[in-house]
Amino acid sequence: MDALATPAQLLVGGLLTGLVFALVAVGLTLIYGVMDVVNFAHGEYLMLAMYATLALALLGIGPLVGLPLVAIALFLFGIVVYRVFIRRLLAGPPEATVFGTFGMLVLLQGLAQATLTSDYQSIPNPPFHGTIRVGAIAVSQATLIEGIGALVLTAALFAFVEFTETGRAMRAVAEDRIAATLMGIDVQRINGLAFGIGAACVGAAGALLMLSYPVYPTVGAAFALTAFVVVALGGFGSIQGALVGALLVGLLEVFGGFYLSPELKLVPVYLAYLIVVLLRPQGLLGRR
Amino acid sequence: MSPLLEVRGLVKQFGSLRALDGVDLDVAAGSLTALIGPNGAGKSTAFACIAGAAKPTAGSVRFRGTEIAGMAYHRVAALGIGRTYQIVQTFADMTALEATTTGALLRRPHLRDAVAYAEEILAFVGLADKRYRLGRALTIADKKRLEVARALATEPQLLLLDEVMAGLTPAECGAAVELLRRILARGVTVLMVEHVMEVLMPIAQHVVVIAAGKTIFSGTAAGAVRDVDVIDAYLGSPLEHGAIATGTP
Amino acid sequence: MRAHLIALGAIVVVVAAAVFGLRSAVALDLLFTLLLYAVLGQSWNWISGYGGNISFGHAIFFGCGAYASALCVTHGLSPWLAIPAGALVAALLAIVTGFPTLALRGHYFSIATIAVAALVDAFVRTTPWLGKATGFELPIAPGWATMQFPQKGTYVALALILFAAVQLATMALERSRMGYYLRALRANHAAAAAVGIDERRVKLVAFAWSATMAAVAGVLYAQYTLFVDPPSTIALAISIDIALIGVVGGIGTLWGPAVGALVYVVLAKAVALQLGGAGKGYDLVIYGAIICLIAALRPYGIVGTIVDALRRRRGAEAAA
Repeated sequence: MDALATPAQLLVGGLLTGLVFALVAVGLTLIYGVMDVVNFAHGEYLMLAMYATLALALLGIGPLVGLPLVAIALFLFGIVVYRVFIRRLLAGPPEATVFGTFGMLVLLQGLAQATLTSDYQSIPNPPFHGTIRVGAIAVSQATLIEGIGALVLTAALFAFVEFTETGRAMRAVAEDRIAATLMGIDVQRINGLAFGIGAACVGAAGALLMLSYPVYPTVGAAFALTAFVVVALGGFGSIQGALVGALLVGLLEVFGGFYLSPELKLVPVYLAYLIVVLLRPQGLLGRR
Repeated sequence: MSPLLEVRGLVKQFGSLRALDGVDLDVAAGSLTALIGPNGAGKSTAFACIAGAAKPTAGSVRFRGTEIAGMAYHRVAALGIGRTYQIVQTFADMTALEATTTGALLRRPHLRDAVAYAEEILAFVGLADKRYRLGRALTIADKKRLEVARALATEPQLLLLDEVMAGLTPAECGAAVELLRRILARGVTVLMVEHVMEVLMPIAQHVVVIAAGKTIFSGTAAGAVRDVDVIDAYLGSPLEHGAIATGTP
Repeated sequence: MRAHLIALGAIVVVVAAAVFGLRSAVALDLLFTLLLYAVLGQSWNWISGYGGNISFGHAIFFGCGAYASALCVTHGLSPWLAIPAGALVAALLAIVTGFPTLALRGHYFSIATIAVAALVDAFVRTTPWLGKATGFELPIAPGWATMQFPQKGTYVALALILFAAVQLATMALERSRMGYYLRALRANHAAAAAVGIDERRVKLVAFAWSATMAAVAGVLYAQYTLFVDPPSTIALAISIDIALIGVVGGIGTLWGPAVGALVYVVLAKAVALQLGGAGKGYDLVIYGAIICLIAALRPYGIVGTIVDALRRRRGAEAAA
């Protein structure tokens, strides 16, 4: 590995890592953009999706076939969570959404720890293994598939928000809730849909991640913390911003891990967050 | 004698939009001055720039001879400008007494003194019997009164009132005018933005009209109703036509 | 006010009696943990509860005290010196990190606290004089000068003094200009500025005091366990626990953190007793459910609900 660790290898590795982060972050940024809620339980949704994918794999359904099933399951879960819970939080004081989604994080985390083994579990017979080599650069097949999946998902979400009627309604709600209501948009329905779609995105992300990552009860924390940084860097609510932010974080992490030390790989990431949020609080591509 | 508040050439640019394009106005000490104008004329923006909530792009705002344009919001309040908001901004989980005490603490650092003064102010605005109610549990009219109490408790020399009459019933408006007279009698100078002209006519000593971000008239209320530019500005915006016409039925 | 003083007095008497009466090391350990968590929860409550800036990185201030204690001991100094030293470092850290971040709203601030805490954690883990990832094991040397006691009861008594001091300070806060200003800022920062409140100054002072309290708790904790390393003092998990305790009892209330600590300790113990190692996670399920319920129904928590009800009753009496 070290012999191959040329800057080019690091660059490719960083971009691919970044795409994996983008996969997790797009759902978060959609929810944020539409209803101004940072879903602190986002990492736990990812954990649920990964376990669902694992369960399907154990039944003989591979992650790529299982992906739409997991995405639909998370979509429905998201809709239900919005209807019974998030809606109430939005009616309360502004800190209610921080506490509420934090409570949900703790609840789901506890459920996983209480009912599941803390061992790392991977899918049996992963469909993609081995590496592809181009010159001195080696890329794992599974990571490449994940990267492509991230690009497809981001593009699909972007197209949905930009070009469909529902997407337009979501942008209207994001822009000005009251004006959207006056225009005859059912804000509760749009919020619910956005929360469901955000959850579906993280469902798809979980299915893809199982190609190369093991799942364990606290797996969400590792990804969620980076996802918050990614979303803030790119600009809360901006889908293309999340992609840019994710690539940047992937590069920072891989280069930081190599040139500083693996323990310190997150230092440049968190520093970047603090610098951006203090100097350009709307993020790199944020509108506000 | 120079006026208490002197605004000259106030400009506020939001991106490509010029919300204020040279507003001039004077507020004489002890007077009640009304700032009127059609919707979108820039009244609220001008208010925000005077109160320190927004930084003007250019121009000067002098209060008691001190330049306050661009000064931090809380420092403007400390200098002696109190304000209320067009859309009420209560401290939702504080009682009326606690909210007013918060205002009184500006000049009375000891809680005991601040509470005593807040009680006095609440009695003055007529909220004494509701002092233990939470801010969010009050009616709109009482919330507006509470905002006035909170601002008065900071002992301002100049009180900025942003559409305190909007949304009130005629009876409540009458009570509000009565309160205004008593505030003036305390020696507090008032600058108010208002839509409901007829209630202002008898009490406003001075009227400033702005349209499209510029001052177009400055003088007496009676003069404003006769002024050609003012009538033009309002007629140019038919929705607002009634606002001034109701002044002379 | 008088009711609060009586309640605090009663707690002090009961706990002091327990210190003399209890022989069970387990019971004393529980009592110590309870008091320590109540202090940490109250410390968090100053900035996050009263002030409304929700911190998910509060453990770094606890860590300042714990590491100050470890450094004093390993350099041949008395850990009593770590109380002012740790408090000073924590207050400075709060001011330096709070100056740019306290003006951030909502989740921007919360995520910034996670980032700052992660940076502090990385710094400690890579700094040789801070013991890197292994931390410090403190030598056993009982005595008042070394703040090490053969009886657990003595630690409980010290924790009780700290708890009482913190509760008294919070009572004073509630009846001070700063307490009113913090609550006003939490409710509406623009309206607060309009009555002359300097947000940055008020919050920096509150944050510095908050950090100071956590640091003193850290000193006591280090001398109690004689072991200081990143996971037990400054890790994200500790910060989350502190926030949990602060939220469960009710934010921005005098007794909320103590109630939160009680719920936390009792639940953790009950789950461990009932289910042993297999019960891991069940306590989290219960806290999670409580926090979700509070957030959805009563954002100001268990104690907040009672305070509201009392206020209304007092109002009704005044009207009658």
